[in-house]
Amino acid sequence: MLPGIMQRKENNRRGKPVPHQRGAGWNRRFTAAAYVLAAVLAVGLLAALYLKMGNRQERYEATFFGSFDTVTVVTGYARTQEIFEEQAGKLEQKLREYHELFDIYHTYEGTSNIKAINDAAGEEPVKVSQDIINMLKMGIDMYHKTEGKVNIAYGSVLSLWHEYREEGMADPGRAKLPPDTLIQERMEHTDISKIVIDEEASTVFLEDKDMSLDVGSIGKGYAVQQLSSYAKEQGMGHLLLSVGGNVCAVGGKLDGTPWQVGIENPQLESQKPYVGTVGLSGKSIVTSGDYQRYYTVGGKRYCHIIHPDTGMPSGYFPSVSVLAEDSGMADALSTALFNMDLEEGLALVEAWPGAEALWILEDGGIRCSSGFKFHEEK
Amino acid sequence: MKKNDIILIAALLAAALAALAGIALYSAGTAKGAEAVVYINGKEQGRYPLGEGRAVKIPAGDGGYNLLEIKDGQADITKASCPDKICVDQRPVSRQGESLVCLPNKVVVEIENGGEPEIDGSTN
Repeated sequence: MLPGIMQRKENNRRGKPVPHQRGAGWNRRFTAAAYVLAAVLAVGLLAALYLKMGNRQERYEATFFGSFDTVTVVTGYARTQEIFEEQAGKLEQKLREYHELFDIYHTYEGTSNIKAINDAAGEEPVKVSQDIINMLKMGIDMYHKTEGKVNIAYGSVLSLWHEYREEGMADPGRAKLPPDTLIQERMEHTDISKIVIDEEASTVFLEDKDMSLDVGSIGKGYAVQQLSSYAKEQGMGHLLLSVGGNVCAVGGKLDGTPWQVGIENPQLESQKPYVGTVGLSGKSIVTSGDYQRYYTVGGKRYCHIIHPDTGMPSGYFPSVSVLAEDSGMADALSTALFNMDLEEGLALVEAWPGAEALWILEDGGIRCSSGFKFHEEK
Repeated sequence: MKKNDIILIAALLAAALAALAGIALYSAGTAKGAEAVVYINGKEQGRYPLGEGRAVKIPAGDGGYNLLEIKDGQADITKASCPDKICVDQRPVSRQGESLVCLPNKVVVEIENGGEPEIDGSTN
């Protein structure tokens, strides 16, 4: 186009067409070629510069408290800190919503949550969101797949232990175990088949007035999984979410390599903070352990995970980590595995499609399922 | 080719050249190599690129010292006058934000402009 325009200008000035002569065509073509070449170079390099400066993403980390009584860390990439903080803020908001939905201790205005279901036990069905129904169905499914080693209907026993643990931690000198008769009594009200879900009406009803739900074994994992889907919808493709050690990778790192996640050493006084690392890309890892939430009675530790068959804290080994795509499933499975001995757990995991696990034993030994890829810290 | 053509083509080429220079400068700015930065009592004492092997004797108070060795892109304290030798026992560092600390000598070696950290998160 340009050479044409220039040509026409020349013509106008002279008032008559340029007389045809040998070489004029060649000259025109040469000029045109020079223009095209220069223009392509300029536009191309300017575009490259713009892309390089405009699209450079930096790594950021955001930490927040206030959901699921733990620390949440979001690691990801953005062009500016403001953009990242805005994204992390959306995730924080979303996580908080799940916290309120799955809370068994508090009521929130405008939210029909697990506490509302518990409060109406034996009385009436409670209308709840699809998220609660999906999560409870997953919990019931996990109960059956693990022969009852993780039970969301175990609230009556768990709340008893919770009470005694809180008191024991506040006043360690007078820490006590719940009386055995009381435990046995509470165990009478843990029948998961008495959870009645009406999907049509979107309601949940507990048939036994003395039973209650406690979704501590699955709620956080379910929430993290929903959070990761939400992040993807929002266009966040490279993210590491950690909600109190419930870790979920949305994609890999920006360079395509997996996120490196350390598996914490249960021996907290050890020089070695991690027993090893796992590469995580589009997957989740969840650990159940006895070394973080516990209380001490008469010099003996009693952890917060209660065995559904005995009503007593589990003590097969210090920790077990489950690696799987779905964080909610991994969360529930890790609790179930914590309530079985190593051999039984290994057999379950080997037969479980898409799940792998790692056990840390009392003597510091490590056992893995056959597909668990793990970089051991020496 | 007319004079105007030449001027315009030259202008386009100049723009291209400027863009190229911009890219080169920008790349140089971001590709700055990792450095071990030495602090004594919170004050910066020196910066040493991890790309060049060397040993630096860091003078601490009262004739004490820490020997910082840079080898294979890693920084490590290999000898020290301090009583506990915790700094010597620490693993070599090379990633962004990692550090070596000698509390008795108030010496801190921190990695700047390094690669991403080794551990991105942890499960417990």
